[in-house]
Amino acid sequence: MKITLILLLICNILFAHPHTFIEVYPNVSIHNDKITKISFQWKLDEMSSSMLIMELDQNGDGKIDKDENTFIYENYFMPLVDYNFYTDISIQEKVKRFPTPSNFKALIKNNRLYYNFDITNLQLDIHTTKFDFGDTDFFVAMILKKEFVTINERDAKVSDLDNDFYFGYRMEIQ
Amino acid sequence: MIFILDIEWRYNKQMYILELYNQFLKQLIMLQYQLNSYISTTIRSLSDDNSLLTSLLILGIAFLYGLVHAAGPGHGKALVAFYFTSNKANYKKAFKMGYMISIIHAISALLFTFGIFYILKTMFRRNFNEMSAIAMQISAGMIVCVGVYLIYEAYKSKKLKELQIEKQNKSEYAVALSAGIVPCPGVMTIVLFCIVLKQYFLGILAAITMSIGMGLTISLAGILSITLHKKAGNFLDKKGFILEMIGGFLVVLLGIFLFSSIGHR
Repeated sequence: MKITLILLLICNILFAHPHTFIEVYPNVSIHNDKITKISFQWKLDEMSSSMLIMELDQNGDGKIDKDENTFIYENYFMPLVDYNFYTDISIQEKVKRFPTPSNFKALIKNNRLYYNFDITNLQLDIHTTKFDFGDTDFFVAMILKKEFVTINERDAKVSDLDNDFYFGYRMEIQ
Repeated sequence: MIFILDIEWRYNKQMYILELYNQFLKQLIMLQYQLNSYISTTIRSLSDDNSLLTSLLILGIAFLYGLVHAAGPGHGKALVAFYFTSNKANYKKAFKMGYMISIIHAISALLFTFGIFYILKTMFRRNFNEMSAIAMQISAGMIVCVGVYLIYEAYKSKKLKELQIEKQNKSEYAVALSAGIVPCPGVMTIVLFCIVLKQYFLGILAAITMSIGMGLTISLAGILSITLHKKAGNFLDKKGFILEMIGGFLVVLLGIFLFSSIGHR
């Protein structure tokens, strides 16, 4: 028992702690007990946003224009595919590859950087699908609260993601 | 039947401790999330009318942020803990070590942030990631060297104990340098945020106070490790060098782990 705990703690202290906080706002569309589309809004914390805005708002006009949006999409957003966009979609406990996001739009609002994007053409059974939000490397903390979720017809259950190496959240449709 | 009940009880106890640990991790994240938001809002609200009080408040929050930030998982505490597992020391030394690391951490973060911002100017995030990776490689290399040195010391102390004190001081500085050289992205983010808002002096002070908070937490990790060493040392009696060897091996493993994680990030 003691050895297990010591080993667990040793493994844990080797992992990093989060430096960026992202609030996740999912908008879930359901049709006939199937999730057909999810629109996500990620709100980055103000300090990380300021660092990114300084770099990404290249003309300094306080807005993300079309070229800047393309640059962010190609250089900052799409590389997150390696991290499954910090979102594991599991169907009957099997993790699926995160669908390619569409309609990506970055914007600056109240000194914060927002990423808006959709995943469409889904046919996910609401009873067997779970969404786990978190960064396994623990550099980014994904924050999800029940009040962040918008959903039609049904209700969403948000719970803590039980993981020994990082902290995250789980969303299930009820 | 009693045997099965005993296993069940032990299993439940283990699960309960894991659950407690997960809750601890969650509270740490939520606290950092709130402090992060609070500190940015307060820095932005800084004006000529309220500069002194607000600045003091910001420094107070930065200290707390450092305290909590360092309580999360990280290689600095692991190195200190393993080092003191490998070396006999008192609590004063743990504080000395914690604060040496935090001073180097603060200097490193300030140099990196101002350097990238004013010399390289563009692509802060990209430059920051590249430079962090280089610093991490240097740190990992140094950690492996420290670990090898500790193993050598443990082997030697078995035969020649009187030389240990003089050598140990040197390894203390090496440990502090290898843990502190990697700038903390948390400190750098606050400094950069202050630079963007043209609060340069406040940025420097915030980096220092945040590092003081981190130093305190790192010192506590050292104290815990010294306590463990004392208890285990008494138990092992004259075979205490075994623990010192284990500590050295763990430091080497930590360095290797850091090397392997650099490519992944």
